[in-house]
Amino acid sequence: MFIFLLTDIFFYFIILTLIVYTAYVLKTPDIRETWAYVFRNKTGILSIVVLSFFVLIALVDSIHIKNKFYDEKTKEYIYNSEIKSLLDIVLMPMHYNSEKSYSAPFSSHLYSKETVKQGSNSEIRVYPDLLYKGNHNKFSDDKAYNISITLIISFIKSFFICFLIYMLIFYRTLFKNYFNFFLSIKKNNTLCFTIFLIVFISISIYDLSLQYYVLGTDKVGVDVLYKSIKSIRTGILIGTLTTIVMLPFAIFLGIFAGYVGGFVDDIIQYIYTTLNSIPSVLLIASAILMLQVYMANNPLDFENIYERADLRLFFLCMILGLTSWTGLCRLLRGESMKLREVDYVQASKTFGLSKLSIIIRHIIPNIMHIVIITVVLDFSALVLAEAVLSYVNIGVDPTTFSWGNMINAARLEMSREPVVWWSLFAAFLFMFILVLFANLFSDVVRDAFDPRANKNYE
Amino acid sequence: MLLTPGLIKIMNNILTIKDLCLSIKSSNTQDEKVLKNISFNIRESEIVSLIGESGSGKSLTALSIIRLLEKSCEIKSGEIIFLNKNILSLEEREMRGVRKSDISMIFQEPMRSLNPVMNIREQIKEAYPKNCSNDLEKEIINNLISVGIDDAKRVINLYPHQLSGGMKQRVMIAMAIASKPKLLIADEPTTSLDVTIQKQVLDLLVEIRQKLNMSILFITHDLAVASQISDRIVVMRNGKIVENSESKKFFNSPDHSYSKSLLISSDYNKKIDHHICSSDNPILEIKNLKVYYKEKNNFFFKPDTYIKAVDDVCISLNPGMTHAIVGESGSGKSTIAKAIMGLASIKSGSISILNKNILKIRGSSQRNFRKNYQMIFQDPFSSLNPRMRVGSIIKEGLCFLKPEINKYEIDKILRDVMIKVGLNQDSLSKYPHQFSGGQRQRIAIARVLILEPKLLICDEPTSSLDVTVQKQVLDLLVDIQTKTNIAYLFISHDIKLIANISDTMSIMNKGKIVESGKTSDIMNNANNQYTKKLLSSVPAIIK
Repeated sequence: MFIFLLTDIFFYFIILTLIVYTAYVLKTPDIRETWAYVFRNKTGILSIVVLSFFVLIALVDSIHIKNKFYDEKTKEYIYNSEIKSLLDIVLMPMHYNSEKSYSAPFSSHLYSKETVKQGSNSEIRVYPDLLYKGNHNKFSDDKAYNISITLIISFIKSFFICFLIYMLIFYRTLFKNYFNFFLSIKKNNTLCFTIFLIVFISISIYDLSLQYYVLGTDKVGVDVLYKSIKSIRTGILIGTLTTIVMLPFAIFLGIFAGYVGGFVDDIIQYIYTTLNSIPSVLLIASAILMLQVYMANNPLDFENIYERADLRLFFLCMILGLTSWTGLCRLLRGESMKLREVDYVQASKTFGLSKLSIIIRHIIPNIMHIVIITVVLDFSALVLAEAVLSYVNIGVDPTTFSWGNMINAARLEMSREPVVWWSLFAAFLFMFILVLFANLFSDVVRDAFDPRANKNYE
Repeated sequence: MLLTPGLIKIMNNILTIKDLCLSIKSSNTQDEKVLKNISFNIRESEIVSLIGESGSGKSLTALSIIRLLEKSCEIKSGEIIFLNKNILSLEEREMRGVRKSDISMIFQEPMRSLNPVMNIREQIKEAYPKNCSNDLEKEIINNLISVGIDDAKRVINLYPHQLSGGMKQRVMIAMAIASKPKLLIADEPTTSLDVTIQKQVLDLLVEIRQKLNMSILFITHDLAVASQISDRIVVMRNGKIVENSESKKFFNSPDHSYSKSLLISSDYNKKIDHHICSSDNPILEIKNLKVYYKEKNNFFFKPDTYIKAVDDVCISLNPGMTHAIVGESGSGKSTIAKAIMGLASIKSGSISILNKNILKIRGSSQRNFRKNYQMIFQDPFSSLNPRMRVGSIIKEGLCFLKPEINKYEIDKILRDVMIKVGLNQDSLSKYPHQFSGGQRQRIAIARVLILEPKLLICDEPTSSLDVTVQKQVLDLLVDIQTKTNIAYLFISHDIKLIANISDTMSIMNKGKIVESGKTSDIMNNANNQYTKKLLSSVPAIIK
């Protein structure tokens, strides 16, 4: 049975909006031309492919399922209380079993020595072997040799998969209408290379993780790689959902303040100046604490711990959104004030157009580039904000997989001897890749949409 | 060395440009050649005017002389010899010295070329060499007096925003001549100024030339201004020099056909003589119109002060006639247009169109009535929404003011109006940035023409266009008037143009009409003192 958590629904909604926007872009020539610039740009296409791969993972992780099983005693099917996502099923080999405690990446034994009984009464201190992975080398007993064989096999696999993907994307009749648009991409070798790289990396990591813990295990023996992959959804949700919350505030209040001016402008300005002067960490902490108190007092409102964690994540997005709309609002206010005096708005006034239709026809299309640039720029900042907030314990629920929680846990791991470095490293690596490509993407988007950089609008 | 006659001529030249070629680098397409084999020279204490339409490369020529080109511009070949030195081969350090002492430049926009946070003393001080005479203060004051600022002692302590446009341009000139340069480059120094101030600045330049024995390269698009001050005219078109001749010869018998067409366009004269009938049924009647703006008060309990933008103005206009409102910037002429269109709030007075007081019509009937009077804006680059197709721009008003018309009829009307303004049918699906200034103004005209208005308010419709394009747009407007008997309220600062296009005119100064009547009467014998001053400042082509 499918389960729809609150954040799932919003995430589907975001994906739907993206699809609608894509359709709109393909229909409108000048915006299509602007986006084609992003696609033609090497950095642009590279970051788009990497980001869509991340979004794909998050999407697969957002389809939740409850398992049904046959109960022998009552003779009927009942639902398991555990909720799984599609990604959990795909990654089943990674998290089905867990070890006892820490183990290093690609290791065959635990990270710390334990006392093991040998024979009848003698005890020795050894590194115990891992129970499930690391010792069952598929091809050869030599670890390095085994790893290279696995990599070569995954290389061949990914080659065939990529061939299929290219056939699918570039098959002429499939996208006949927009063929020219795709043709412009086809010539782009960067795209083909990036897709191949991503397919190869994911397949080889998957193949390796069947035999090893690629990024080691954590304190309770859970695969760190699995935790990092599961954290992608949290990061992307915080980045996008927060934007969805903040956009209506920023756009409507910003335009009304700028276009209507006067009294309305004063009120809106006071609101965001006040909001800006409250330290946002304080505001977020109080909101999260209030939610925790509510959840502690009303435990019956939640069917299971997944819903609780999900509500907390959702609430965090809300409160982050509420504190972060002011910057964009101020930008849009200034831009609308400028546009209000521009001749084409004046010309529409002479036709007697109402305020609302002027805003919809003339103002909004001309501020959209600012919105897009800000949204893409804010995304990476929000992913980082989540990590910081979880680190100080006012972020997502401790049971939610998130890079912030991983870093928080690594605080203790870094202070023990010998140091357990891989949790922190994994969180850092994943966050770094996501934020890096989000930043690269936003740079290209800004180049494409900034009228001053764009020669078409001079 | 043998002194050939050619060499003697070069020695007399202060600046010689030989075969200058310049191109703009671009990443995706081929380099664009913007200057092609430019050669001309400037003799000692000579004023040479560089004339051309926008985009002809005249400013780039000036910037290559002073070597302030943008990075994307690359000089391909040629040399610029200034006082027997090739400027193009100088080190940047040496070039700085040349800029400091020998070549100075004045820019078009005096508001933007002065630093708003420095007072005039500090600004001018920058122009002097560091170890200059001890009495710098006195020198600055003398300098300011020499450019016609009489109360220099007061002005020296002021900041740029406290000065008027003409004063700022004088300060700029004072800075430029501070080092007593051999060559002064003036890039459209009077374009953004009113005619009366323009005349003062031009007179000043001529006077300084004589005083300092300095050469001037004067860049302009205005033939009349050029004819007022220059000894020689160089005409540029598309990066090439098409004519280089003495001023007198140029204005009497130009060689090149392009120069001829420039001269013809600048002297616009296509007037249809309406007999001015004093019908009792004026299409527009403005009575005692007052538009005041409230000045922002920072103190409570202080009585409101008002800026009187339009003060007690009466205008009446008959069908099929053209009435012109002339005035300098800030005289309130645009405010009248805004008041008629409902873009400015009116304090008192009445505006009647077709005998209906439009200030009293409200709601849907006002909307219905709006199609009778429409307006064309000055700048065709900002009056069209860059994100809308031309087709939807043109039909915006039609769809809104005449919602009863169905789709097929709209298409037909669109096609008709495109023919009327002389644009292609396929322009309808393009975007404004794909058109030139003149074509854009045609689109703006089509947008209002489609409503078949009885009265059209033209707020400086040609002042941002090149002369030849200006002529085409005016031809179009005159043509439309003869066909449809539309009335124009024409607002302009260009008195020459007004004289040729209008039947009646009003002259405004500081929100008030100082004189109004038949155009021919006012042009020939004005009564008012201000009108006389204005008319005498208008530059005319001296033959």
